Amino acid sequence: MTQFPDLTSFSLEAVLTILGMAAVTYGMRLGGLLMADRLPQHGRWAHVLERLPGAVLISVWVPSALSAGAIGITGAAATVITMALARNLFAAMAVGMVLVGVGRYFIGN
Amino acid sequence: MSRPGQTENQIQNPLQNQSQSGHFDADTIRRGALACLPLLPSTIIFGAVLGVLAAQRGLSLGELLFMSLAVFAGSAQFVSVDLWRETIPSATIIIATAVINMRYILIGASLRPVFRGRPLWVKVTGMHMVADENWAVSMTQKDLANPGFLLGGGIFLGVVWATGNTVGYLLGGGIPDPEVYALDFAFTAVFAALTIGMWKGKVDLLPWIAAAVGSVIGHYTLPGTWSILAGAGAGVLVAALTWREDMDDDSLEAEFAVEGRDAYGAPEGTNAAKPATETAMETGQ
Repeated sequence: MTQFPDLTSFSLEAVLTILGMAAVTYGMRLGGLLMADRLPQHGRWAHVLERLPGAVLISVWVPSALSAGAIGITGAAATVITMALARNLFAAMAVGMVLVGVGRYFIGN
Repeated sequence: MSRPGQTENQIQNPLQNQSQSGHFDADTIRRGALACLPLLPSTIIFGAVLGVLAAQRGLSLGELLFMSLAVFAGSAQFVSVDLWRETIPSATIIIATAVINMRYILIGASLRPVFRGRPLWVKVTGMHMVADENWAVSMTQKDLANPGFLLGGGIFLGVVWATGNTVGYLLGGGIPDPEVYALDFAFTAVFAALTIGMWKGKVDLLPWIAAAVGSVIGHYTLPGTWSILAGAGAGVLVAALTWREDMDDDSLEAEFAVEGRDAYGAPEGTNAAKPATETAMETGQ
């Protein structure tokens, strides 16, 4: 380590870029909520909104399990099954991660 | 986090029982933080990997920490820091951030029941520290989580994330490869496990299959994180198509429903939530 990293050095360009990133991200977080507030509380829209979290969640992990290969798919399946049986997040994660870790060690990706 | 007037609000609030009490009370924030504990190892290691990358790309530690707390979105930060150069390509970075984080529109929308009947300032303050992880953990709480629970998880993840950034930045390397300990798989695992908690019955089956199929097709045909939007879009479409009149349920979502306009527009502290039956009677539904 040649020099201590400077905590207080901020370039204007960097700060503006980060503020831009923060503004679009926060805008979408709050905007999504406020838009949903204006949707009807009953009927088709409410039904769709209730299905939304599951659909988003599945779309986040299914592709990443696939791209982790056969071991990833096996690990994800084991995680889901453990969670369904034990209803324990920590146990479910541990089973999946140990399986993937051990699998990678012995079989490789 | 006690604010003047909060106690009064609590007494007036007819939904004061269970998760509805208080906006951001300390105990709920603590519970939310603890619920994200299983994510500590992977968050700190990935934070450190980002720290190493940021040091190589010429960000100062201050700029990195500012980014981590102001943007607070892991995958977008990885892409942005990777794009970072001496002359910062600001427009490219901001557009990439917007595209990668577009899922937060959906995540924000799905948080409606968590913020139901809360004043606008709670929504404005509560929506910043929303990452995929504390969102998923909050959405699967048995008694529907409240904004404090969500914020607690967010603060916890933010502190861990920034700590990891600092460690990685200072070490400048020598961080264990996340893949060796399957730490990269931790995010897949936590989301896979929490999916179980989101199951509300048979009505979920077709939208979920559509989401899985849509995201897989998107994964092979679209760049980056567009697969999330493809999957969510397919799920939403199928949910809309499979809805029938008789599906309106008496679940928590429906039971505690208030008119969105009232909840949104009401001045702070005056928006006592009404049960769905009352609201329905008033609006003549």
